[in-house]
Amino acid sequence: MPEKVSGSFRDPSGFMFKHEDKLYRQVNQKYHEEYDLLMSSGLYEQLTKSKTLVTHKEVDLKLAPLPDIAYKIIQPEMVDFISYPYEWCFNQLNDAAILTLSIARRALEFGMSLKDASAYNIQFQNGRPMFIDTLSFEKYEEGLPWVAYKQFCQHFLAPLALMAKTDIRLSKLLRLHIDGIPLDLASILLPASTKFNFGLATHIHAHAKSQQRYADKQVSQEEVKARISKSSMVGLLDSLLSTVRSLNVKTIQTEWTDYYQDNNYTPASFEAKRQLVKSFIEKVEPKEVWDLGGNTGEFSRTASDMNIPTVCFDIDPGAVQQNYDLVKKNKEKFMLPLVMDLTNPSPDLGWHNSERESMQDRGPVDLVMALALIHHLAISNNLPLINVANYLAELGEYLIVEFVPKSDSQVKRLLASRVDIFPEYTEHGFEAAFDQLFEILEKAPVLGSERSLYLMKHR
Amino acid sequence: MISNFINLAINGASRQYLDPGSGSMLIQIIIAAVLGAGVAIRVFWKNIKAFFTGKKASDVDTDDPTLVLDEDPTAVPLESTTTKK
Repeated sequence: MPEKVSGSFRDPSGFMFKHEDKLYRQVNQKYHEEYDLLMSSGLYEQLTKSKTLVTHKEVDLKLAPLPDIAYKIIQPEMVDFISYPYEWCFNQLNDAAILTLSIARRALEFGMSLKDASAYNIQFQNGRPMFIDTLSFEKYEEGLPWVAYKQFCQHFLAPLALMAKTDIRLSKLLRLHIDGIPLDLASILLPASTKFNFGLATHIHAHAKSQQRYADKQVSQEEVKARISKSSMVGLLDSLLSTVRSLNVKTIQTEWTDYYQDNNYTPASFEAKRQLVKSFIEKVEPKEVWDLGGNTGEFSRTASDMNIPTVCFDIDPGAVQQNYDLVKKNKEKFMLPLVMDLTNPSPDLGWHNSERESMQDRGPVDLVMALALIHHLAISNNLPLINVANYLAELGEYLIVEFVPKSDSQVKRLLASRVDIFPEYTEHGFEAAFDQLFEILEKAPVLGSERSLYLMKHR
Repeated sequence: MISNFINLAINGASRQYLDPGSGSMLIQIIIAAVLGAGVAIRVFWKNIKAFFTGKKASDVDTDDPTLVLDEDPTAVPLESTTTKK
């Protein structure tokens, strides 16, 4: 039985559904003309050749879950991992914004316009942002305003401005407001200096004022022709584009960005650990890997360099941004860096708590890596080791995990300012806890340290 | 007058499923009017410059991610696709 995808209900043009583990999209008859125009105008070709729009193929109409209103059934190319804007670093959200505007501008050349500018329409695939909503295009009618203007400002411009001008941590507001950050809130939180920045003064501050002023105004039924000429529309999109491009968060120096320059590894033990991780990965031969607490992706790359789609989660937006910059610079295709606080990971969100999936529901994966992570969870977050083992067992079948003993300088640092209330935090205690859920397949010392690396399999 | 603008904007966009918001529509119309003039001036200057330098006026943004890169042998030349003027 086809099963409708729960996050796909807003747009009457069609919807996503799952059938035998494959994703499809029903295009409704209502969207017939627009779909044909997208395919025949050259826009689809332009965008798929530039790898900025998801490709699709038309399949048998018999698959339609709602055949009475179906026009086509299409099967889009699969995305390796669905991520959400509140999990992206600044540069990821910035690139997604640039792509959305560039597509809106390009669509105009083909006589079409972008009817929504949701950040959830962008996914990262092959190291680059890609637009995934094939049904977001409609025939452009000169004179009409851009219907997605408000949405673009809420989903992209406001969070980017807040991250760049107020505080990088405000990206978390996107998790609270899943239809984008309300502009009046953004206007309050931005520093007063942004009122002298033309783009932010108009698209955020004046925009918010205008929304407040006309929030409950009744409109008369008289018909008058307002004109936003095509060149004005181009001007509007270009203004948004230059505003977005002018925002940046330079090298973010946060707690963990210097981790690899500032620890007790020697280059030899670092390389030995990498070889060990590589040999474990080769044994598992995973189809996908999650690296938890992966920092800038040093060890995640052991997997992604083997062409295994790898998601590298880290709590630190600075480390994630460094990782993403590297992905772009080296045109890496199998690495996806994301911001994630494992002590409070992305939950199920939205209507019926089922529009956006929790981190856990997007798994489990074949292989989870947790290197130099357990001591942070167990000591900084007071988590009993059995709870950590339970959680990791839910995320993946195989586990590469590192145990860092109390004698290690990193753990000493965590314990420096607090009472040691962790008598069970020993190698023996760790093995005893994990043994309840995992079979320990291999154990090896990390050269030049007192740490141990394990390969485990969920029982 | 203002309500008429909004009215058109909203009625004109009646096929939409997003609520564009009346305040958002209105400010957009104002901003776009100002920026549209800027675009017209920019194009005008480009054409003047092109006339004197003999180079064809080009508005191609090389950072545009939707550009089909030249090295791609299957690339569609952009000029041929920008026909709907």
